Amino acid sequence: MSAFDPRPRPAFGLRIAAWYAGLFVLGAFAIVLLTYYLLSASLVQRDDQVIRAKLGEYATVYTRAGARGLAATVRAEQSVAPERLFVRVVDRGVESIVLSNPEGWDPSKLEMVSAQLEDGTLVQVGKSTEARQDLLARFRATLGLITLLVVGVALTGGFLATQSAVWPIRRLTQTVRDIIRTGRTDARVPVGGASGDAIDELTVLFNAMLDKIETLVGVMRGALDNVSHDLRTPLARLRGTAELALAGPADADRYREALADCVEESDRVLVMLNTLMDISEAESGAMPLRRETVRLAEIVARAVDLYQEVADTKGVALAVIAPAGDAVVFADRTRMEQVAANLIDNALKYTPAGGRVTIEYGKDEGGAVLRVADTGPGISPDELPRIWDRLFRGDVSRTERGLGLGLSLVKAIVEAHGGSASATSEPGRGAVFTVTLPLA
Amino acid sequence: MRALIVEDDNTIADFVARGLREAGFAVDRESDGDAGLAAASILTYDVAIVDVMLPKRDGLSLIEELRRKKVATPVLILSARRSVDDRVRGLQSGGDDYLTKPFAFAELLARVQALLRRSTRTSEPTTLTVADLELDLLTRRVTRGGTSIDLRPREFALLEYLMRNPGIVVSKTMILSRVWEYNFDPQTNIVDVLVSRLREKIDRPFESKMLQTVRGVGYRLGGGGGA
Repeated sequence: MSAFDPRPRPAFGLRIAAWYAGLFVLGAFAIVLLTYYLLSASLVQRDDQVIRAKLGEYATVYTRAGARGLAATVRAEQSVAPERLFVRVVDRGVESIVLSNPEGWDPSKLEMVSAQLEDGTLVQVGKSTEARQDLLARFRATLGLITLLVVGVALTGGFLATQSAVWPIRRLTQTVRDIIRTGRTDARVPVGGASGDAIDELTVLFNAMLDKIETLVGVMRGALDNVSHDLRTPLARLRGTAELALAGPADADRYREALADCVEESDRVLVMLNTLMDISEAESGAMPLRRETVRLAEIVARAVDLYQEVADTKGVALAVIAPAGDAVVFADRTRMEQVAANLIDNALKYTPAGGRVTIEYGKDEGGAVLRVADTGPGISPDELPRIWDRLFRGDVSRTERGLGLGLSLVKAIVEAHGGSASATSEPGRGAVFTVTLPLA
Repeated sequence: MRALIVEDDNTIADFVARGLREAGFAVDRESDGDAGLAAASILTYDVAIVDVMLPKRDGLSLIEELRRKKVATPVLILSARRSVDDRVRGLQSGGDDYLTKPFAFAELLARVQALLRRSTRTSEPTTLTVADLELDLLTRRVTRGGTSIDLRPREFALLEYLMRNPGIVVSKTMILSRVWEYNFDPQTNIVDVLVSRLREKIDRPFESKMLQTVRGVGYRLGGGGGA
């Protein structure tokens, strides 16, 4: 846990917000600068056009009507036009006459264009830039204000957007931290909404992973409880045998007998432990399966070979039929052999001498099928659903040797392979156990 | 024959050492990985029995180091883990066989003797003989005191296995894996059934009984005598 820093990096959200705001402001700034530049350029151009048009007009008036005429025109125009122009005539470079209102002109704020007439007279028209500067100054102020506003919006927006993006991650982090601290795997991250974005997907997946882990832990815990419970009885027998021998009179033969009992009992404990672990592993999905393509015919042949002597000795006929031909499954060979062996074992156990155990295999509409039928006493309807339970042994079988785990293991292995196991019985006429597996 | 036991559990080490001494071995014991490695590197042993979980240096690393030093002593690994992966890892590290705890001493002894046979590589006999019992591997004929005995294939396989390990107790698990090549425990005692069928044929018609049951442990084919 030392390599893991439980604190989220606080700079993360801030960094994203800063980037967001920075880019936003930069964009806004670029727009503002461009607008300002375009406005000021077009204002200058317009002034220039106005001046040049007037200059042309005045030059014509001057040529036609002389200085006096021009003065009259200027005065007449300026009494109505809102924009005053500065007009000056310099007579052959000697005498300068200002025709417009001579006061209030600041030469530094005057934009002027001159035209030299043919007789050497210079006509000048000027326009004050004050109005333009004024306008631009106001525009600048407005733009400044807008920029400030934009920065404000960007920072707030950036902060809010980042918060909303980081928040689900924070929730996830918080949940993980809670689980690490408390070890409780039942904690879940609340799902934000139905927006279905990447974070929601992560949250849903994370919760699904927690579900899976919780199930697995639960199954493991249950298996551990079961194993410890199921082992108590044989261990009690083991202890009882030893204790009884110790409590009695010292006698070598009796001791030998008791010790042999103890060895046999401890072997049974071991087989039981292994089988219980197998069942738990298969049920929880933790059983490692070395899958390969396996022909059912091979599996059945090996299992029948294993039990042939037992069947002969007991006087039970073992018959194998495959009416629909062989079937191939993708499965763990040893585990499948165990399934077949356990089913045959079970059938033989309940079939009296002179009876018959029939093993049928092949393809079915449901997949690959392995069926073991016996001519034993059968199973009563109320016991039928319980035969797969661990350590369940029907009334008929109480005297038979066995652990009561064989069928549970069959079911667990078959289900771990994606198949199913079922049983039917007509009491008095035997039982049929059917295992169905997906075809390879 | 000299055997080295590297095992930190005293009870198990005692039990194995005593059994091996009774079977005629000279036995040395070490209780941690470093001491075990030192002993196995310096002295020459015919076989070593090494536990996986050891103080100071674990059994697998001991074996790897031993193999790096070109020490070819056959090694039987003892472990409390029974998964196939652990078995594979043990054999990959250079071990020769793998036995899971708890085990029957008979099984350990049989495995040790199999390792010794493998390492000495005696030429394969074609006839096995124990007392007046003879088994011809080529013609697959079995006779006892000159009387021919008719055996079914499984019975023959069981007898062959027992005759290859005369005087040694072989466990049911070993028989199951050698005769049927099955590596799990069936519920019914199949081995019991086969043994009693074999006994019917090789012992019942004769005065002295060769195939003995050692209760709780297994079976032993002896040179005749009592039941």
